[in-house]
Amino acid sequence: MRHKFALAATVVFLAVLGLSWMFHGTGVVRNDLARNIYIPGELIMPLQVKAAFDGRNIYFRYRWPAREPHIYHDMLKYEGGKWVRIGRSVPGPQPQGIYEDRVTMLVDDGAVPEFEKYGGYITIGDRMRFFTGEAKAKEVQAHPYLGAKRKQAEVGKHLPETRSDIGRWQSVIAEDKLAAQRKAGYFLDLWHWRAHRSNPLDASDDQVIAEARYGDAGKGPFANNWDAKAERPQLMFDPDKNGGRAALRWEDLAERKLGFDDVYYLREDQAKPFDPNHAWKDGDVIPQRLLRAGDGSHADIKVHGKGRWQDGYWDVTLVRAMDTGNPLDDKMFLDRRVYTVAFAVHRDAYGSRWHYVSLPVRLGLNREGDLKAAEFSGDAPKWEQPWHEVKLFYPGQVSWPMLRSRMHAGASKIRQGVPVKFRHSEAQLAHYGVEMEFNDAIIRQWLLTLAAGVLLIVGFGVAVILLLRDKRSST
Amino acid sequence: MNAYHVMLVHFPIALWTTAFLLILARALSDAPLVRAAEGALTPLLAFGALTGALAFVVGLLVWPPEAVASSPLARNHVLLASWSLAYWTLLWLLRWRAGARAWEGMARWIMLVLAGLGVGLQTLTGTLGGYLAGNPSAVSDIVRKFGWEVFTTFYLPDWMLGVVVFAALILAGIGVAGSRASAGRAA
Repeated sequence: MRHKFALAATVVFLAVLGLSWMFHGTGVVRNDLARNIYIPGELIMPLQVKAAFDGRNIYFRYRWPAREPHIYHDMLKYEGGKWVRIGRSVPGPQPQGIYEDRVTMLVDDGAVPEFEKYGGYITIGDRMRFFTGEAKAKEVQAHPYLGAKRKQAEVGKHLPETRSDIGRWQSVIAEDKLAAQRKAGYFLDLWHWRAHRSNPLDASDDQVIAEARYGDAGKGPFANNWDAKAERPQLMFDPDKNGGRAALRWEDLAERKLGFDDVYYLREDQAKPFDPNHAWKDGDVIPQRLLRAGDGSHADIKVHGKGRWQDGYWDVTLVRAMDTGNPLDDKMFLDRRVYTVAFAVHRDAYGSRWHYVSLPVRLGLNREGDLKAAEFSGDAPKWEQPWHEVKLFYPGQVSWPMLRSRMHAGASKIRQGVPVKFRHSEAQLAHYGVEMEFNDAIIRQWLLTLAAGVLLIVGFGVAVILLLRDKRSST
Repeated sequence: MNAYHVMLVHFPIALWTTAFLLILARALSDAPLVRAAEGALTPLLAFGALTGALAFVVGLLVWPPEAVASSPLARNHVLLASWSLAYWTLLWLLRWRAGARAWEGMARWIMLVLAGLGVGLQTLTGTLGGYLAGNPSAVSDIVRKFGWEVFTTFYLPDWMLGVVVFAALILAGIGVAGSRASAGRAA
């Protein structure tokens, strides 16, 4: 009789264990756009990279998978007498798919030593844009330096030593010290290719990360086409130069009818001042970004050949002078030297922090490295070397202040200078990044699960001990 | 504290693994040698529980509590360590209270199932501990194939927590009911 009860208890116990195994990890991780939380379906993606140089120019070729190309971005759609913006940065994917693909590369020559060990993590500071609890635009605009002087409206990537306290984005050090840091090379060079805002002109944005993310000196490849005061575009398509069309049509964008060989962007030399008296119709669309030829240091990087998506893959090659002559904005490339680079990709209409990033990669120019730049002679690289395979991951909401705090078990390892790749894989970092977005809720659930599990064991223990106890002890 | 934790965990791992082997042998054999060896089970399990509790407490001191609570791998390690300790402590109490009845009829198979689960739990606990100490192994790949990504915290949704608590009460009720039924029958 006792054994039947013992069997029943064992069956109940094992059944609950089985159910727990089936349903563990559910009920907490869910998208919450109000808190800037959206978890991508895929946490890992591949990127292939090659590099080459000829002593004058350096080339980087990137190839990555994407289900479809996203080449439309930030559009102004005429609806009921108003111009409505579609395609701004939002948490997660832009709902109508109006957000461009991107590939970015951070470069350092050793002047930012933590970058070689921790990559882009060091640029993620306190209350970053699109983090839960991000600093509000008004707060940033009210900052005497970042807001008033540098016209920043958000906390973007920045380097830790540009702050007196890495846990406070406001604590920017004095301007003369910032200038001295820049002169000493304490900045990261940011190559920033965008499928809409630069690629149609075979150009790339060229930026720099120091106390904030800035464009290099000079004119960038795009400008804003929004007249905030009049609440309408500043420029429209010149019908004389665009086959009689003054605007794109929304249905062409929604159905993805416009491809690489069509006009889906507004170029400075194809535009004219906006005419409010034009017979605008619902569904007319004018891009909010005006493409233009950049100049100065801002226009150092070009697309080599054409940046195109084909058969499920983007293939983009960027080229820049090894020495641009702009040492305050760019990292110069020298033969026989090593550099640290880190990559990121935006795809599937994701913007802002919803990108896939890499751990730091050592680039060698006739030196040992993870990625070896091939030296070549002639007009263009032959790309005969194999691809360097890079694993990109979704980083979630993990900041440098958090990584240096008591919340991070590896904080002491960072203080000791142990590189991130020695302790963590990309898959691990992706899952950790997601869990950090729900840290408080997961801690609660974890503690309750721990207690419930112990209670289950105790319950089972009570059952089997009562049922199997020695006759001598029960009398 | 990490070095002391690593040193201490050798004891429960060794004691519980030996206990598992004894339970396995006793479940499968009534040979005199096996019976005699099984006599060491209760002290083995008792020392295992004692050293396991010590290793657990020292382990909690390796990192600040905020770090343990915020690391998925550390959370899993603590969770599994708690359950391992509770589990093997249960086996100790069970063997102590049940005496020779632990090997009668189907009771021996229950002991074997419990010991199997216990050794599985302690293996996972040790694997994650190795990971945390910077020595990952392929065991986590096996677990992954069975549906648990060890880089994510093992937690249950609220409704499942309710099921677990309810099941714990049911289990205790089964024990009481079975015990009473058996006593009534004996009377």
